[in-house]
Amino acid sequence: MKKLITLIVLMLSFVAVNAQGSKTVEMADVLRSSGKIYVVVATIAIVFVGLAIYLFTIDRRLKKIEKEN
Amino acid sequence: MKLAGQTIELLKKEIILEWRSKYAFNGILLYIVSTVFVCYISFNLNPGFKQSAGYPIVWNILFWIIMLFASVNAVAKSFLQENKARLLYYYTIAHPQAIILSKTIYNTLLMSLLSVLALVVYLLFFPNKVDDLLYYFIVVLLGSVSFSTVFTMISAIASKAGNNGTLMAILSFPVVIPVILILVKVSKAAMDGIDRSLSLNNIGTLLAINVIVIASSLILFPFLWRD
Amino acid sequence: MKFIYKTWWKVLAVVLVFYTLISGMLFQVPRLDILHETIRNLYFHVPMWMAMLTALVTSVFFSVLYLRTGKEEHDLAAVECVNTGMIFYGLGLITGMLWAKYTWGEFWSGDPKQNSAAIAFLLYCAYLVLRNSIDEEQTRAKISAIYNIFAFPIMIVLLFVLPRMTDSLHPGGAGGNPGFNKYDLDSHMRLVLYPAFIGWSLLSLWIATIRYRIRLIEHKKNAIN
Repeated sequence: MKKLITLIVLMLSFVAVNAQGSKTVEMADVLRSSGKIYVVVATIAIVFVGLAIYLFTIDRRLKKIEKEN
Repeated sequence: MKLAGQTIELLKKEIILEWRSKYAFNGILLYIVSTVFVCYISFNLNPGFKQSAGYPIVWNILFWIIMLFASVNAVAKSFLQENKARLLYYYTIAHPQAIILSKTIYNTLLMSLLSVLALVVYLLFFPNKVDDLLYYFIVVLLGSVSFSTVFTMISAIASKAGNNGTLMAILSFPVVIPVILILVKVSKAAMDGIDRSLSLNNIGTLLAINVIVIASSLILFPFLWRD
Repeated sequence: MKFIYKTWWKVLAVVLVFYTLISGMLFQVPRLDILHETIRNLYFHVPMWMAMLTALVTSVFFSVLYLRTGKEEHDLAAVECVNTGMIFYGLGLITGMLWAKYTWGEFWSGDPKQNSAAIAFLLYCAYLVLRNSIDEEQTRAKISAIYNIFAFPIMIVLLFVLPRMTDSLHPGGAGGNPGFNKYDLDSHMRLVLYPAFIGWSLLSLWIATIRYRIRLIEHKKNAIN
């Protein structure tokens, strides 16, 4: 049983490697597709995540003050 | 006019003090010579370096780095060495603007002298073909003036913040980077013998930075002084 | 200081930013090579720097005010403005690096503006280190205010004069990026960009005031104890 699984895994990985090899040289990762609109999406996401993290730090600071009261 | 008179008196005092001990001058000169010598020995460990293509670029940049550290050390002394009682005494007899002006002028003179000597020593150990030597020389003088104007004010700030050398470096390097950028660019142009008129733009910016720095130190120093 | 407790400008900030979020994604933009749709990043990356600049200018303003009046609140306002500016600095840098990766090819391409931004970061780190190195409160406030004012004109030279004198991938440089100067003329983009500048600037001020108010409470509490 174990041997069979190993064999299947090996086969699958071979297929995966093969699929990668047949790809074009153009590194078409997701961020470069559709006119690179995803770069813009990622930018907005970064800005929002940054602000959100910032909000949490402010929140923590306020909590500290509230506790002391 | 009173300001000018006080400035000249204080400047005289600085020069006389320095002339008597020659501590700052000799110390920094020794600092420069030994740094150049260390560089010389280290580079000599790699044979063929002087013939390599990158040599002129390294030559130029290394000179400015040595000058940068030498001037930080030279100018840091101007306020850090003064003790509290003497500063208090100045405060009672002179206008604060006269003090910062005299220190700036004194440092400018000291650094100009030192940088010329440094250039001579440097050329001795690291021979290099400088096409427009006069222009390079002028740029070195300009550089030492810019370094001393910036560092004088920073050393005043650092001396108020607990007299330590690390703080001096931290505070001054970001401020002095624009100056260094322009200096390296202009001095490289002088080295390659590029037409002088092409660098006038950069020199203008450098002078403008100097004017801004001197003006803001004149305005801000009285506030720093008051305790 | 009544201004910071008003609501209208905070509403304005939210409305403007919301407007740019929608219109920035939907309005027509020039079709350019390499940039493609990422030109829309102009509405989301550049305003970060504007917000940072607003916070830092305000900080210098309060530093000047502190030196004139000696009120401790002004020092607190100045330091909180710097803290807020640093947040927008970080956001501007990260978004800029991402954008650079997919248009110029590298996260960090040694562009004069990128380098200048890094140096400006050192400058304000030095400001914060300086603050931490002094224990006595009034000396700390005074000296850091002086350093803040002293460093500011140099930062302006660094960010706005020097990059224009050398080749830069950013628009506005001497060599410049020829494909990128077209947007200067595009009135559609201005319609979004300028409101974005104002909106994000107000937003950064809002964050700064919140931080300032918290700081004020902390400060008062420490004074009582």
